[in-house]
Amino acid sequence: MPWEVGLAETHQTLVLNDLRGRVRLQTDGQMRTGRDIVIGGLLGAEEFGFGTTTLIVMGCIMMRKCHLNTCPVGIATQDPRLRKRFAGKPEHLINYFRFLAEEVREVMASLGIRKFNDLIGRTDLLEVAPNSHWKAKSANPSLLLHRPAEADKYATYCVQDQIHKIDAILDRTLIEKSKNAIEKKEKVSFSVPVKNTDRTAGAMLSYEISKRYGDDGLPEGTLSVDFNGSAGQSFGAFLAKGVTFRLNGDANDYLGKGLSGGKIVVVPPKGSTFKPEENIIIGNTVLYGATAGEVYVRGVAGERFCVRNSGALAVIEGTGDHCAEYMTGGYLVVLGKVGRNFGAGMSGGIAYVYDVDGNFDYFCNKGMVELSKLDNDEDVSRVKSMIQKHIDNTDSEHAKNILSNWSSTQPKFIKVMPVEYKRALEEMKLKELDKKLEGIIEEEEIGGKA
Amino acid sequence: MGDPTGFLKNNRKVAGYRPVEQRINDYSEVELQLSEDERKLQASRCMDCGVPFCHWSCPVSNIMPEWQDRIFKGEWKEAWELLQETNNFPEFTGRVCPALCEASCVLALNDEAVTIRQNELAVIEKAFELGLVKANPPKTRSGKKVAVIGGGPAGLAAADQLNKAGHMVTLFEGTDRVGGYLRYGIPDFKLEKSFIDRRLDIMKEEGVVFKTNSYVGRDVKINDIMKEYDAVCITIGAREARDLPIEGRELSGIHQALDYLTQQNKTCAGDKVCQDSLIAALDKNVLVIGGGDTGSDCVGTANRQGARKVTQIELLPMPSKTRTDSEPWPLWPRLHKTSSSHEEGCERLWCISSKKFIGENGKVKKVLACKVEWVNENGRFNMKEVPGSEFEIEADLVLLAMGFVHVVQKDFVNELGLKLDARGNIDTGADFKTSVDKVFAAGDANRGASLVVYAISEGRGAANAINEFLSK
Repeated sequence: MPWEVGLAETHQTLVLNDLRGRVRLQTDGQMRTGRDIVIGGLLGAEEFGFGTTTLIVMGCIMMRKCHLNTCPVGIATQDPRLRKRFAGKPEHLINYFRFLAEEVREVMASLGIRKFNDLIGRTDLLEVAPNSHWKAKSANPSLLLHRPAEADKYATYCVQDQIHKIDAILDRTLIEKSKNAIEKKEKVSFSVPVKNTDRTAGAMLSYEISKRYGDDGLPEGTLSVDFNGSAGQSFGAFLAKGVTFRLNGDANDYLGKGLSGGKIVVVPPKGSTFKPEENIIIGNTVLYGATAGEVYVRGVAGERFCVRNSGALAVIEGTGDHCAEYMTGGYLVVLGKVGRNFGAGMSGGIAYVYDVDGNFDYFCNKGMVELSKLDNDEDVSRVKSMIQKHIDNTDSEHAKNILSNWSSTQPKFIKVMPVEYKRALEEMKLKELDKKLEGIIEEEEIGGKA
Repeated sequence: MGDPTGFLKNNRKVAGYRPVEQRINDYSEVELQLSEDERKLQASRCMDCGVPFCHWSCPVSNIMPEWQDRIFKGEWKEAWELLQETNNFPEFTGRVCPALCEASCVLALNDEAVTIRQNELAVIEKAFELGLVKANPPKTRSGKKVAVIGGGPAGLAAADQLNKAGHMVTLFEGTDRVGGYLRYGIPDFKLEKSFIDRRLDIMKEEGVVFKTNSYVGRDVKINDIMKEYDAVCITIGAREARDLPIEGRELSGIHQALDYLTQQNKTCAGDKVCQDSLIAALDKNVLVIGGGDTGSDCVGTANRQGARKVTQIELLPMPSKTRTDSEPWPLWPRLHKTSSSHEEGCERLWCISSKKFIGENGKVKKVLACKVEWVNENGRFNMKEVPGSEFEIEADLVLLAMGFVHVVQKDFVNELGLKLDARGNIDTGADFKTSVDKVFAAGDANRGASLVVYAISEGRGAANAINEFLSK
């Protein structure tokens, strides 16, 4: 769909309903020249996106090999041999946009328009060029060029700021109460109620921490916050190191999104009577893109648990479909049933699943992973320690049962590991061994000489 | 693109030439070929670009990535099928094309270009070796007769295409052998003539009639052709050579390059050349005036004939050895080239203007020359003689290789009343139609002296236009 059609329709509809003044319209798609921009403006846009053109300016030659890591001009690649060939400079882009702006001004001047806002939606300034192409003959652009009568009384471009209601959100309270922790690294703990309209709780708090201390965050266990209630979306998003969020209740989707070193614990509220290991207490898409940190949930998660997790550690008592999808790093222990398509596109990290019914094989997508038992000490001690931490944090009865009957429960654990990841790890180990061997031989040689 | 990282693993490798001391003694081709395994690696360097500039720069629009992929996979038949779709004579361009494609090869942007020309040659030679290239006469005939006048690459391409389209084609060639500049211009050491004969045999078998020694306007009347044929395609080249009308031009020992090259080509073909008109370089100081490809061919030929010394002078400054900003990739850069002939021994001088031929007893002995400089005056480069820079060059054989002006007009072009363009070539539109009904023109006769590959492209274009004209 060419942008002209969608843009004209959107702009006209918003003007008709006196909503145009409250938004900005952005359009993109093969934007190249100042003329394109002015036409976009006349059809109703005030912001413009540039994709291909800017890449070309930086040296892209439309190789169409972006997916192969062989970009010969070093743009769409991480290969150092190819990146050396990158010849683009920021100045090239600056130059391009300067010329672009200049051309916009020229066109505006030729139309007698002083400010860009004055031309937005002025379809009366556009006329249809004669075109004898057989396809163009039957096209009627009059609807594209329609200017609603309402345009005379309502705003035709953005005149009103958005009200974001961000002044009284939960994070303001969190930051205020955590002041001593943030500024002086003092131990702070407190408790606050939470409700499902409190979204992205902890993100601004984490910003305050990472602004001061970067990736290091706060020392382990500095700040601890207890939440009671139903958390809204993205609870604990980007949570920084040294912060623990403990939620007594349940959580919506995106819990721990982009988790950056913090710890999140979710347990059912005190006095609840349901069996946590059989009930969902957190939503979908948990730990999306998490890079570090820990999550312990006494209960079951929704779908896509640990999707794109690249470094966090998580223990959960059951999950929905697509668990560990596209996971690239970190460790995951599932102490119960999982849904279908487990491990789809998983390229890194390790998942351990307590396969209580013995049918995990059916639920797993084995396109990229292989399954095995806990057949070495490293895996066994990792799983046991993760379960122990889960118990320490959540007091899970279910986990306690598993650990106290370890001789009969251990055989039911299945290790899920990406084939390529395993190969890479083994190679690294071999290299390390080789290095050690070399060291030993050298030492012996030196010893012999002495 | 069988191997997406081929260009990172393999460097450009050209086969190179036979050693100078060996090749200087014969007229066999100087260029060597890579082994099949090495050729495949070279083909794997093709990146199969999303926007392949090689297509764009190739006058016949060869689809290099497609057939280079087949080379890499060893699928020679498929490679040849793709190649022959766009190029009638890859065995010629594979040997003598300057390879516009390689100048605009995307890899050449920051690396060395794929060896496209030699890859092309490998495909066609392998196809001949495997017996794939054989006569394939059209299944049906249109009943229309077309005369092609001039048997150079443009005429041959037009004849081949028209014959394949089912028309009865007769090609009139003024000399005793078909091939035009391929036959009597380019020396054997760059293009052995057996490769032309090999192709002509196939075309004959397919039904093209070749009439040699049929110089239109002398041996054959243009009016007879106009009467007998449904369409006429003029591909007589641009053979009006540029002369150097300075004092002493009438001295003996001053010849046009093409006359000289033709003689050697005839000699190589086994013909006896009359002693009176023999142009020989043996033990002579040879001066080649003109720094282009024809001049270079004269250098190679003179050295093979045993010249004492060969000097080549050029009026223009020496071009840059690398691309300049005024000719950015993917444009064709005018670069300083050292041909195989130059390697064989030759003094090359630039910015030299000839002022006078000096002779003794009617024979040229020396050339008075001077240095010139090119001054940028309001965007135009004007030539200025450097005062006091006059000098003499010993020369008892002078070869004029200064290019060609336009088509030879006097023989039948004027008789037909063909409209000429500003440069004196036959004027046509993009449809190759001349000002006279049913007469078409293509190749150098139409666009002025140019490359073999342009001639093939023009011949194909004219054939298309004629086919369309005859199908109405």
